Amino acid sequence: MELEIKREKLVLRVGTQKYEWHIEPRYWRNPFIYVGILILVPIAVYFLYPQWLPTVIDANLLAAIAIPLGWMTIGTGRMNFGPQFYIGVGGFTAALCSINLGWPPFVTLLMAILAGLIFGLLMSPLSIIAGGLYYTLLTLLFPLVFLEITFIYTDLFKGDTGLFGIAQMVNVGHFTVNQFLICLMSLFMMLLYMFIVDKIMRSKFAASMAAINDDEEVAEAMGVNVKKIKIISFTIPAVMIAVIGWFYAHYYGTFSGVTYLPLAFMVKVLLVSMIGGRVQIYGNVIGGYFIVILELFLSSVLGEYSQVVFPIILLILLLTLPEGLFGLYRKRRYREYLPTLHVRR
Amino acid sequence: MTEILKIDSVSKHFGGLMAINDVSFSIIEGETLGLMGPNGAGKTTLVNMITGKYLADSGNIQFMGHDITRMPAYRRCKLGISRTYQIPRPFPELTALMSVVVSALYGKDRANQSLEDAATEATHYLEFCGLFSKRNVLGKDLTLYELRGLELARALATTPKLIFVDEVMAGLNPDEAYKAVRLLERAKEEFGVTILWIEHVMAALMQAAQRVVVLHYGQKICEGLPQDVANDPYVIECYLGSCHV
Repeated sequence: MELEIKREKLVLRVGTQKYEWHIEPRYWRNPFIYVGILILVPIAVYFLYPQWLPTVIDANLLAAIAIPLGWMTIGTGRMNFGPQFYIGVGGFTAALCSINLGWPPFVTLLMAILAGLIFGLLMSPLSIIAGGLYYTLLTLLFPLVFLEITFIYTDLFKGDTGLFGIAQMVNVGHFTVNQFLICLMSLFMMLLYMFIVDKIMRSKFAASMAAINDDEEVAEAMGVNVKKIKIISFTIPAVMIAVIGWFYAHYYGTFSGVTYLPLAFMVKVLLVSMIGGRVQIYGNVIGGYFIVILELFLSSVLGEYSQVVFPIILLILLLTLPEGLFGLYRKRRYREYLPTLHVRR
Repeated sequence: MTEILKIDSVSKHFGGLMAINDVSFSIIEGETLGLMGPNGAGKTTLVNMITGKYLADSGNIQFMGHDITRMPAYRRCKLGISRTYQIPRPFPELTALMSVVVSALYGKDRANQSLEDAATEATHYLEFCGLFSKRNVLGKDLTLYELRGLELARALATTPKLIFVDEVMAGLNPDEAYKAVRLLERAKEEFGVTILWIEHVMAALMQAAQRVVVLHYGQKICEGLPQDVANDPYVIECYLGSCHV
């Protein structure tokens, strides 16, 4: 292994492989800086304000939901208004397996993935059959129906109170250290999702998704297997979101439908997506942190008035930033040769 | 003289409306076949049936020996059927280059083709259609003439054997229309494609097509050499009125 600075480049040689990075700031590989800052956040919070660790976990998890949701939106060419349905699927599967069968978190993770896969596959034909507003309304309906089911079958889902006594994800005997470890895990999960979706968005698979997003009929006439792409783009993100449900269940040790299935949670996820950068994956992270921090700040400063001010601020941002917060950055540094994808609907 | 496409007694109805009624004809490899007919004759419906947007109610469509009557549109494209649209339908949020990249990637199956390979190939088709300088312009920002070029580039990038060209001259001024016709001729020469050309502008079709098929109220009323078709009293009557099938 050899490291040298050569013609304003940092050159790393590992065996026969050579990696180069421009050290002039405008050529810096942005994802490296970005990920570096994200890793520093929980460490800084742990040492300076450990009481804010749950807020960082929240932001990471919201972004981790919004990232696959963005993939789902682009790949199906439709806006899914019910991502929390899959959180419910993953969360309840993990909770029920943990409480009733005593299975440890890594086994319940497999079950949550399986449940997400089954429900994702079952729901995926919707993206082919229903379009536009009908699709949106149907996806909006599923979590609400699921919520009703949790009330009807109270014996199983424990209705209002929810399931409790779920095995903890980590337990080292110290609350703050537990929180810190969970925070790192949530960050890892978000970065993993970002890495996966980023790879997909830079692949040739993304070209077909962009075409479907713009005009399905023409895309099919140009040789794109629209149904296959849509089913993949629906099912895999559904599984990814279900895994976040599993995370919530084992993080809090409780899981109830009233927390995750109502519209309020969905609105928060969609805002993360829209404020961050209209389904831009990096924007989702900015959106997640922005929404959570803004909510925390307003509620501590304005108290109950924050419930009015918070939506007003978000509404103003939605109207004034058509490409979200990430759009501000992209516009200044727009230099891609192959364009990135845009979402029309 | 090999038949590339054979349409045998195909029919299509929408509710009570018979859009295509028992139409049969074939296209010879390498020729330019004109498809004519007054408005509402069923020309675009027929093209939609061949390209896979609509499935035929009855009849049979064969392409290079394959029965494609019930085949999905994307598989027909992979076999070598491509099309342009009467009203251009670009991918509005994609640049001209990316629009063609999609066709190059998904048209005909190519082994180990990366996104970069497809971009290089797409550049070639854009250059052929005179759109190289517009490669980074979004589809929604192109002019009508440029959109016609983009549609052709996109269709050619799927490496088709047969292209359906739907009213390429509609909305263009005489100079642009001339250039569009020249472009089609060049495409035929360079890529060896067979063309089925739907057109209202008779003069262009008379010059470019080797044979012409005329549709009226969903039925084929005439087929033959352009001059013969133009002088057919029945065709003239249909175009000028007072003809009922």
